[in-house]
Amino acid sequence: MNFRKKLKPSLIAVLMLCAGCLSMPETVLVPGAPEDLQSCFVLFPSGPWECVHKIEAVIGEGMSSSLLGITQGDPAERKLHTVLLTPEGFILFEAEQREDTISVLKSVAPFDSPAFARGLMEDVNLLFLPPRGRPSKWGRSADGAVLCQWESPDGYREEITLSTVGRISLRDRHGDLAKEALLMAPFVKGLASQMELRAHQPALYMLRMTLLPGAP
Amino acid sequence: MKKGVWRKIVFLGGVTAAGFVSAMPVHSQNWASLRESFRNIQSVKAEFLQERHLQILKDPLVSEGRFFYLASGSLRWEYLSPLRSVMLQKGDSVRLYHFSEGAWKQDMTQGVEARRMVLAEMSQWLQGRFEESKNFSYSYSQGPPGRILLSPKEGINRFILAIEIVLSDRPGVIDRVEITEPGGSSMRITFRNVEINASLPSRLFDEP
Repeated sequence: MNFRKKLKPSLIAVLMLCAGCLSMPETVLVPGAPEDLQSCFVLFPSGPWECVHKIEAVIGEGMSSSLLGITQGDPAERKLHTVLLTPEGFILFEAEQREDTISVLKSVAPFDSPAFARGLMEDVNLLFLPPRGRPSKWGRSADGAVLCQWESPDGYREEITLSTVGRISLRDRHGDLAKEALLMAPFVKGLASQMELRAHQPALYMLRMTLLPGAP
Repeated sequence: MKKGVWRKIVFLGGVTAAGFVSAMPVHSQNWASLRESFRNIQSVKAEFLQERHLQILKDPLVSEGRFFYLASGSLRWEYLSPLRSVMLQKGDSVRLYHFSEGAWKQDMTQGVEARRMVLAEMSQWLQGRFEESKNFSYSYSQGPPGRILLSPKEGINRFILAIEIVLSDRPGVIDRVEITEPGGSSMRITFRNVEINASLPSRLFDEP
């Protein structure tokens, strides 16, 4: 009896832990028509662009910092150039990306690790460039939201959902959420005026980004 | 954070504030009388316009702010736009805040430790003791306009090539600070509405 009493909470705990590891179930989609396909790209600027954001970065459960971010991009060539600055205007990190090649032009500690460069450029890609090629599937979910999914060769899945806000989700090969971004209207020259990115792995952080009007 | 970055940040704040303190002369004041004039400054209050020139941008990134300085060892360096942030220094204590979601939030702490380290040097500048700097050598051109040129020593020159403080023709006021960096980037900070020896409430240096 005693054993059973002890077992019950243990089982619940184990089940809860397992539930945390479960992959998200596949969303049931009403298949989209070919003409719906272009909706999958509507969150991203279609031509070359440049922008300045004020960024609040929150790491873990509370430490936060305020930064400025400058980004230039050309979706046709999948080119990105990004600069991260302190409020005083000092460059903490600067990198360029052409296709899959990242060149770090400037970086200072603690922003000088290859892992940071990879992570930051992954964030910039997620927010500003559409995934490569056609989505593997697209359509509408039960609530009418447009949903597009891309599968990458390494098993990652990027999902874009368009409802009242734009949502970009990146899931790892196990289906666990790695990063999620919300893009909020109004859009100015194809760029969301507000964005919020939450990273769940490999590190826990949140970026709250506000597009600066008229900049540059 | 690496000491160098925060040194650079504090240097700029320090140099700017020091520029004010050193800006007491009337036209063509010699260095000795310039240094003498430090003793007459008890406080400075000013607004500034900062233009950040970067290779990536066609137009400069413009920030606006204000600063308050007490010769007794307090500094408030505050950006009002495009983002609100403030650095508060009082004695050996340095705190950094940013304004978000309607409230001031303390910024990540790793930078503050390094800032504290370099404050001793900054204090020397605020008292006009440029010759004691471990990181910059100085030269002074009487002008008009008077100019103080700060040249970085080994290490700092990775971040800053030169800092020039251009004095206004109004006694006690500088016109601008120009910072040249490697790679063609630069920064210009222009001051306006400068008040010397105004009464400054201590809460300016205590609270964001």
